[in-house]
Amino acid sequence: MVTIALAKGRTADDVVPMWRRAGLPAPADLDDSRALVFEVEAPVHGPLRFLLAKPADVPTYVSFGVADIGVVGKDVLLESGREVYELLDLQAARCQLCVAGRPEERDRRPRRVATKYPRLADQYFRSLGVAAETIPLSGSIELAAVIGLADRIFDLVQTGATLAANGLVVFDEVLDVSARLIANRSSYRTKRQAIQWVTDQLAQALTREAVES
Amino acid sequence: MSIDMQQRWADRPLGMRDVYPQQARRRRQLESKLLRVFEQNGFEMVSCGLLEYVDTLLRGRASSEAEDWLRMVDATGRTVVLRPEMTPSIARMAAPLLAAGTKEIRWSYAERVYRRTNDPASLSWASGKAAESTQVGVEWIGRAGAEADADVMALCQAALGALELDGWQMVASHAAFAPAFLEAHGIAPETAESLTLCLARGDYVGFRGVMGALSAATGVADDVLDQLSTLNPLAADLPEPLQHRFAESESGRRALSAWRELRDLAAVLQRRGLADRVSFDLTLVRDLTYYTGIVFEVFAPGAGAPIALGGRYDDLLVQFGTPAPAIGFAFEAERLLTALTEGEWLHEADERGAGSAGGAESSGRARTTASGEEASPW
Repeated sequence: MVTIALAKGRTADDVVPMWRRAGLPAPADLDDSRALVFEVEAPVHGPLRFLLAKPADVPTYVSFGVADIGVVGKDVLLESGREVYELLDLQAARCQLCVAGRPEERDRRPRRVATKYPRLADQYFRSLGVAAETIPLSGSIELAAVIGLADRIFDLVQTGATLAANGLVVFDEVLDVSARLIANRSSYRTKRQAIQWVTDQLAQALTREAVES
Repeated sequence: MSIDMQQRWADRPLGMRDVYPQQARRRRQLESKLLRVFEQNGFEMVSCGLLEYVDTLLRGRASSEAEDWLRMVDATGRTVVLRPEMTPSIARMAAPLLAAGTKEIRWSYAERVYRRTNDPASLSWASGKAAESTQVGVEWIGRAGAEADADVMALCQAALGALELDGWQMVASHAAFAPAFLEAHGIAPETAESLTLCLARGDYVGFRGVMGALSAATGVADDVLDQLSTLNPLAADLPEPLQHRFAESESGRRALSAWRELRDLAAVLQRRGLADRVSFDLTLVRDLTYYTGIVFEVFAPGAGAPIALGGRYDDLLVQFGTPAPAIGFAFEAERLLTALTEGEWLHEADERGAGSAGGAESSGRARTTASGEEASPW
């Protein structure tokens, strides 16, 4: 059996249909069920077990080997700093990691940065030689800039609509983010054929869809 | 009970893990069993102090490897490190003996090693980076060549056989092959180095990203990763055209020489019937920079990280004062125990030590678990 940790939310929403298009078995009722574990039969390689996890927890599940493979955004993967194999860019759930703030802050020195990614934010600002303080928050990061808790936010931007609605603008685009297929280092060796099968099916589907569009 | 209850029990330092009777006995039995197999094959046990000077450990390796070492300053003001592994200590001990005329040294050890980490102790024992873990291994100094490489891999396999571990898989590669292979494809050494780092991290997406950009800019073939991952010294030689092309450059000749070592090893493994559970994966790169030749890792179901790791380090001893070829490997005892007992090994500490407060009530369950395990040798 291969256990797959899926990041709940946008990543799962985008990747599960792709998973089906790649001819891989996927649970039918993922969308309207409240269950967190799904098992489906697969040809040849035994059943697949899907775990629906909070995105930030997917690298944890995979690195400790309770899930063999996982699907999660590159942002979460980098922030976690976990040792896993990164097998495939699924080119789904795309967005950008950006630095944003109120327009009048653009030319001022960064002082306080609100973010869900304290590690990456720290790394980014240090690479610029700026000693900014990071303020770890867990959601609605824009709020921090709007009410003046921080002069910058370091966060994911998908369409930019939330930023615009709150009077914020993007200062810098730091990283293109998309969903990645990751694998536990031991599972990648001990369940190689099954994992290779999943990887190849997904890679072929991606190539097919790239050609079609 | 409330969370601000006055603290009655003494804290266990971060990352440290208590080991209770059943577990402690099993771990000691495992160490003894492995050491016995090593001794039967001519490896004598040595031991040394837990601290090494930082400059001892840094000999022959990149300073970036020191990031997760636990350092402190001793009474004379020199920086010492809680050893993260045994190989440098063994090299330090062996070098003067080799210089005095000893031709060959075969030593084994069973020691605790230390790292800086934030992973919870029990899970990291099974699958992650543990703050404290037990390595049981051998170092064989003074012998080069494919037969010695195969001997060490055979010893590792014999030890796994003695433990009756099921489902393990040995993955082998060559430390010098991937970097030389990349350079031989016309990739600049700095880029080849960052690509090799991608491989060491298991970041195949990053590798393809760098290669894609490089290929667009310079026309270098962008399928080197596929080429690299399909090469199998057990099955076939390098394609002829590639051999001819490689013979014409310095990096190509390095790749060819590493490849020949791989082919020699593959042939010896096959001849000695050791190849069944070995797969070669030339994208496997170890994160230790002192390796110069064959490297290998062993994986087992139930442990999310390698249960054994090793390789050849022919240029390390010269950093300690005497040139000598060498190869070694170590088992990660806690990961091995987790795989051997399907995780059962961790339970006694989970139950007895989960919170000091819960200890008394849960000891009944711990006993049941303990007696249920008697059937298994572990």
